[in-house]
Amino acid sequence: MSTFQQKSMDAETLISVRGAKKYFPVTEGWFNRQVATIKAVDDISFDIRKGETFGLVGESGSGKSSIARLILRAYDLTEGEILFRRTSGDVVDITTLGDRDMREIRREMQMIFQDPYSSLNPRMTLLELVGEPLVIHGMGTPAEIKDRVSELLGLVGLRPEYVMRYPHAFSGGQRQRIGIARALALNPSFIAADEAVSALDVSVAAQNINLMQDLQEKLGLTYLFITHDLGMVEHISDRVGVMYLGRLMEVGPTDELFAKPKHPYTEALLAAVPQPDPRGNRTRKRVALKGEIADAMNIPTGCPFHPRCAYADDKCRAETPALRVVEGGRQVRCHHAESLDLVGVTAQ
Amino acid sequence: MTKSTHAPLAPMPPERLLELDNVGVHFPTRDGLVRAVNGVSYHVNRGEVLGIVGESGSGKSVTARSIMRLQPKTALDASGTIRFRRASGEEVLISAQDRQSRTMRQLRGGEIGMVFQEPMTALSPVHTIGTQIIRTVMLHRKVSKAEARAQAIALLTRVQMPRPNDIVDRFPHHLSGGMRQRAMIALALACDPALLIADEPTTALDVTTEAQILELLKSLQQELNMAIVFITHNFGVVADIADRVAVMYLGRVVETGTVDEIFYEPKHPYTQALLQSIPRLGKSHGRRLRTISGMVPDPYNVPTGCSFHPRCLHGVRGVCDVKTPEDVVFASGQRARCHFAGEVAISEAAQ
Repeated sequence: MSTFQQKSMDAETLISVRGAKKYFPVTEGWFNRQVATIKAVDDISFDIRKGETFGLVGESGSGKSSIARLILRAYDLTEGEILFRRTSGDVVDITTLGDRDMREIRREMQMIFQDPYSSLNPRMTLLELVGEPLVIHGMGTPAEIKDRVSELLGLVGLRPEYVMRYPHAFSGGQRQRIGIARALALNPSFIAADEAVSALDVSVAAQNINLMQDLQEKLGLTYLFITHDLGMVEHISDRVGVMYLGRLMEVGPTDELFAKPKHPYTEALLAAVPQPDPRGNRTRKRVALKGEIADAMNIPTGCPFHPRCAYADDKCRAETPALRVVEGGRQVRCHHAESLDLVGVTAQ
Repeated sequence: MTKSTHAPLAPMPPERLLELDNVGVHFPTRDGLVRAVNGVSYHVNRGEVLGIVGESGSGKSVTARSIMRLQPKTALDASGTIRFRRASGEEVLISAQDRQSRTMRQLRGGEIGMVFQEPMTALSPVHTIGTQIIRTVMLHRKVSKAEARAQAIALLTRVQMPRPNDIVDRFPHHLSGGMRQRAMIALALACDPALLIADEPTTALDVTTEAQILELLKSLQQELNMAIVFITHNFGVVADIADRVAVMYLGRVVETGTVDEIFYEPKHPYTQALLQSIPRLGKSHGRRLRTISGMVPDPYNVPTGCSFHPRCLHGVRGVCDVKTPEDVVFASGQRARCHFAGEVAISEAAQ
């Protein structure tokens, strides 16, 4: 693949998102006059290291799903670059690739979707569903594909005899496993899971989370795990990014970020989660965040979080903070990260 | 329809607002009879919050809908009684009422308020928020339209809606998810209900909005001394709002107790297993989640004996798969429907 230009990236890094922006135009009237811009993703940079699980949390409309779509290039970036380390070791900027090259890269990056009901074609058998990526990429004869599908089903804990069944015969949790098997078909190195367990009941979600962790260990996968469930993200992620209105507010190792948040938004999110601990809830300080997430078409000036922030001052209203590195290698987008003493959650 | 063939019921204790006794709701389908609710008993006292938790398919919503007589038309009332104490002190046998009866129409939206999960489908998209509240108020009270409108604005203020004078003339699609849920609560509170039935009211909301709505419900509940039946699958939410909890599995209540009993001394293996399968903030990183083996059985083939036995860690062959357990009642009033309730090691369920 000599057409790929070489870019430099830390050897431990699998994906590097650098200054990514995605703006959607808002149009109106007969002539589709552009009246505004929605900044779904605005100047985001982070790295995902090989073999880790990077969690992305935030409220709805914060742009977390857009990031997954940008990495898999379901959307084109407005600005910025996304570097990806191929299995061969080459580093490519996926935002500059043509369709043919991109198709090849997609073998190495796959996605698991939230809704196991709408993401599987009801008229296809498991053989067709799970084998489809292999057929598209021309990998193997029909007999080989069938063997591979049986193997994949076994890998995700479904019986290989089920290959001729249709998705309606399976429960939500099993369908999610079919989606996982399909994502694994091409031996990817990277999987983006967008709210992969949010639609499932707790007992089933736990089974699938354990499965994803086993697969990660067995196959050396790297995950981007997107969810609004903070408990889940803490459980599965090695590092976490917190998003608000299209911006990354804080990035750090999971344990540190949850125990000692550096951004007031992270603190507020953690405080808002109702815990399965009635006694703890009675004593815990619940700083209820005021108001609602701002309209993406009217992002507040200065720090986008300042209208809801308990610590905001004039500087926050006037100047937009940048994501910067503070002590311990943590990254925070807050003017007052050093001076604030924020409360996280700690093991009792 | 349950006919008045019952022996006369003993009157409810004076503090009792709602009492369900052995309620069964079945659905005849092409594939067989689905016992969606199979002998559910619980009660709610005045001013008390009862949390109902369970996985999907456990029958929590069907039970709640039969309290309001809003179950689907195909549903059969198979057994049991539902009683509600009206403001006058008189007991109504709800289970003997027709969905269209005068009493039910008075109760719904009057003494019993309802809040649903998806406010976009529960609110009318073609009427303003104000119109919807005004009509509810005028249906139940003899007031002029102007008075009803003033009440609507007062209600919106009470649920801490921003700019109530403006919002009253807005349509639901103008509002954000959290504001719609506030409008829904204002509508439910329109006639000062003694009982609010809230079916997953925060499930579709973000955590920060969820926290706001929970705070609002808690403060309204205390201010109005209203009882709430709060249905959810989220244990965190139940721990936050409930005084007592009922855990449901496959159409049955498997355990009831105070919120502390359920969370710190669960007696039923299902409750114990569920509590261990949720990741907890500050405790769970890197630890493997406990799971419940298998999945919720399909409703056409409910296992014999204890319906949880195929998934239970403590199931005993020859007992659990044969005999349907009865409620074991503990001294504190906690109840668990398990042959071995109280004997089962609680392990770290409380942790």
